[in-house]
Amino acid sequence: MKKRANPILMAVIYITCIILTILSIYPFLVMFVNATRNSAQVQSNPISLIPSKYLFYNLKVFEGKSFDPMKGLMNSFVISASSTILTIYFSTLTAFAIVAYNWKLRNAFYTFILAVMMLPAQVTAIGFYQLMYKLGLTNNLLALILPAIAAPATVFFMRQFMIPALPMEIVQSARVDGAGEFRTFNQIVLPIMKPAMATQAIFSFVASWNNLFMPSILLTDTDKYTMPVMVSLLKGDIYKTEFGTVYLGLAITVLPLFIIYFLLSKYIIAGVALGGVKG
Amino acid sequence: MKRKKGVSYAKYGYIFVIPFVIAYLLFTLYPTIYTCILGFTNCKGLSLTNWKFLEEDVFQNFKAILENETFKNDIKNTVIIWVLNFIPQISLALLLTAWFTSPRCKIRGAGFFKVMFYMPNIITAATVAYLFNMLFSYPVGPVNDILLKAGILDEAYQFTAYKGWGKGIVAFIQFWQWYGQTAIIFIAAVLGINPEIFEAAEIDGASSAQTFFRITLPNIKTMMLYTLITAMIGGLNMYDIPKMFLNGGPDKATETAAVFIYNQAFSGAYQYNRAAAASMLMFVVIVILSTIVFYLMRDKDAVEQKKLERQLQKQLKKSRA
Amino acid sequence: MKKILAILLAAIMLLGLVACTPETEETPVDEPAAKEVINLWSFTDEIPGMVTRYMELNPEFAEKYEVKTTIIATTDGLYQPALDAALLAGGEDAPDLYAAEAAFILKYSQGEASGFAAAYEDLGIDLSQIESAEIAQYSVDLGTRPDDGKVVALGYQATGGAMIYRASIAEEVFGTSDPAEIEAIVGGGSGNWDKFWEAAATLKDAGYPIVSGDGDVWHAVENSSSAGWVDGDKLVISPEREAFFDISKDLYDNGWSNRTTDWQEGWFNDMKGTSETPAFCFFGPGWLLNYSMHDQVIAEGAVTNGDWRVCTPPVGFFWGGTWLLANKDTEQAEGVAEIINWITLDASENGLQYHWANGTLNGEGGTKDVVASGKVMAASNGEVEICGGQDMFPAFIAGNAYANGKCLTQYDERINALFREQVTQYAIGEKDKDAAIADFKTNVADELGLSID
Repeated sequence: MKKRANPILMAVIYITCIILTILSIYPFLVMFVNATRNSAQVQSNPISLIPSKYLFYNLKVFEGKSFDPMKGLMNSFVISASSTILTIYFSTLTAFAIVAYNWKLRNAFYTFILAVMMLPAQVTAIGFYQLMYKLGLTNNLLALILPAIAAPATVFFMRQFMIPALPMEIVQSARVDGAGEFRTFNQIVLPIMKPAMATQAIFSFVASWNNLFMPSILLTDTDKYTMPVMVSLLKGDIYKTEFGTVYLGLAITVLPLFIIYFLLSKYIIAGVALGGVKG
Repeated sequence: MKRKKGVSYAKYGYIFVIPFVIAYLLFTLYPTIYTCILGFTNCKGLSLTNWKFLEEDVFQNFKAILENETFKNDIKNTVIIWVLNFIPQISLALLLTAWFTSPRCKIRGAGFFKVMFYMPNIITAATVAYLFNMLFSYPVGPVNDILLKAGILDEAYQFTAYKGWGKGIVAFIQFWQWYGQTAIIFIAAVLGINPEIFEAAEIDGASSAQTFFRITLPNIKTMMLYTLITAMIGGLNMYDIPKMFLNGGPDKATETAAVFIYNQAFSGAYQYNRAAAASMLMFVVIVILSTIVFYLMRDKDAVEQKKLERQLQKQLKKSRA
Repeated sequence: MKKILAILLAAIMLLGLVACTPETEETPVDEPAAKEVINLWSFTDEIPGMVTRYMELNPEFAEKYEVKTTIIATTDGLYQPALDAALLAGGEDAPDLYAAEAAFILKYSQGEASGFAAAYEDLGIDLSQIESAEIAQYSVDLGTRPDDGKVVALGYQATGGAMIYRASIAEEVFGTSDPAEIEAIVGGGSGNWDKFWEAAATLKDAGYPIVSGDGDVWHAVENSSSAGWVDGDKLVISPEREAFFDISKDLYDNGWSNRTTDWQEGWFNDMKGTSETPAFCFFGPGWLLNYSMHDQVIAEGAVTNGDWRVCTPPVGFFWGGTWLLANKDTEQAEGVAEIINWITLDASENGLQYHWANGTLNGEGGTKDVVASGKVMAASNGEVEICGGQDMFPAFIAGNAYANGKCLTQYDERINALFREQVTQYAIGEKDKDAAIADFKTNVADELGLSID
């Protein structure tokens, strides 16, 4: 039994990984470098990797705007973190209901979730906006947080993950031990689902963080702007766009995502000795 | 035996889906129904308040969309771009999964690489679109400069003006943004497999390839179904990059169905009714395609699962019946 | 790891709660001195900045009113849907004062949303100032509602275009850089392109393309058209615009351009003068010269600062601009009128436009720009460094006069894009002209529901 893969394969693996890494990092380098350059430099050589000296100038331009980037970060964070937690928790719970219990409407409900996942979003946006307007939830962060409870695609993911990863014996033995169903879910199912939850948490956080369309039309009060909305306003200065500042905005927007990602990625990467064999 | 147990706990099934159902009814159902209804009305123009149902021919909007050459062209584009991006995407993702989960390939810096692969997905589509636009700019631009210097081109080439290149670049961007996510999902799925199965395979002396095809793949089938379905839905609703990279150009080569829907509603004519009808038609297309995928995947499941543990098989069958 | 995650999650939750609850309750705090609220909607912070300045200059206004601004960028097409919804919804939070950009001003001043706009005269604004301040006519035309012939929108900036050319190249090729003589050589103000193409051939022989890309000529062609894209619900292709197919092809094939695209690297290189074969001229309004080009000519490696001159272009056009409208249901007519008057019509030295033209709104040394009022420009100093100290105003005043706002429609943004796509396909030789025109028509019919032929 050979213990190691052959060196040629390893070489191929490393070369592929390094190429992919370069492709991944490059745009970020461009973004950070451009944050230190001024508009003319960015425009006439948009993807150079040589930093310049305009970082503080760009920062000054940003701060000179009528909105506060710190507040933007804060709003973005509140929305993304809250909606991510809601999405992950309730999607797992819903998936658990589908996987673990045999109720009459289960298949109908599951089919329903799959169907609503397939609706194109472009036009439902009009109705959503009208609804929020009628509910008086414009300029309220909750308008972007509460809908996260119902995330059909995440439920689908959780269900798909749960089927092979969650042996029903565990649930049953918990019942034998006298644990309530809700407690079983919180204390036994959730830990088993960690890799899935971490994965979806990242996706959901990123999607929410980068969301521009809904926040732009729902949050029109300067104090409620999210970071991407601010960046789009920097870009929107049609006749005199400060591109260096736009990139600075983009860089500031992406930094927290790095942090969240690195924190959560450990969870996926570490392998998480799960299998859920231990009760 | 389990079935009986399940019945007595059935009420929890209902209880646990309550939050989802309430949130869905509150925030998603209204907009969805609203869209459906608009498709049957004369709702065109700015004021959304003043519309009535079509009297002569209720399906007029749907017919108009079905006869629309641009819509047909855009659906074709959507499918082509999706296939061009999805096949390399899933291939690479599977390859990476095989490499990164194989007990034999100890890749140094595996964690680092995994983090890197996902990175393209955290930049906003607008930024990506802008960067690529600048990369391919003409007559001077990074890509042209490099190709000229390397002697591959004699004179600068206007990539973004030719249909084939337009489609190819959009497909590449999609591929580049999403292969990492797909790989991460697969890797997470593999990590979710009971390690004992792998250990057993190792003891039986299975080769890496055998382990991957006979054990890993069948075990992440549910996740592959997830990926296929969501990638398909995402692909057929592809909007951001096609819209922002070349605004559907050159000559409509990268205009997708979702961009078409947006344009019907928001590019000057405010044909909300037709946009809604087109949305509904796209919905039907997606449902049909998804049903086909479900059907195909289920069929194969049934054949191969005999090899799997009985428990697992039972559960799968029950939940998919 | 578990602990870190748990703490992180707990912190997030807490933050979420802390940050959510007070904010929702904070909103009704409108008490201090019960000022009258004016809701201002805009797509950049330019107008809000002006209003803030106005309030600094006029404390009595600031005491009486509070201006709440909403800024939504037009990029990504978000401003209009939100503004439309807010106008439709009405009520206390409805916009009292709102801005519209050239790309969509017609919708709000003449098209579907013109019913929301208040006539300036109904607000109590003295419209005789239009004449006394010599406001550019095209700006007034665009802001006039056809239903009742009343003015509902005016701007502060004027965006009539000039031809902006390189003095050194003119000197080398034509033996003169004098604006009047160059104007004669390119047929400035003639209303057609004949002499311009002759000049293009001469420049080509000397190794210079006359323009950077076909986009530079497009704005002039588009705006000087004898008819708009749409008449009723029918697509119209005016002969001037149809001619752009061949103009673009000639520019592409004859080496009369550098084949660049607006806002891309090659285009900016022509502004800096660093292309292999630098372009001779650009077509644009004051903002193109004073913001976009200015940024480039002072950049590293640029060789063109002070080398640019402005003169009247062969055909008149305008490009961009911002208009200001008021809601007909506003309860603050007086305050709204005061702001509109200061921004769009006040031609005195205290008016916004005087500050704007002289770059003194926020202190000395700001960027000078072209304004709507001819009177203000006549009284202002338009000498700019980028033009080697030439007074830019005469050329732009002429540009404003040549511009006309009569061939615009609310569909323009999209139809222009569809048209340019087909022109490019023709110019690069992928299609013949008939096929390109046919495809253009199909695209417009399919997308906008307009009838063709």
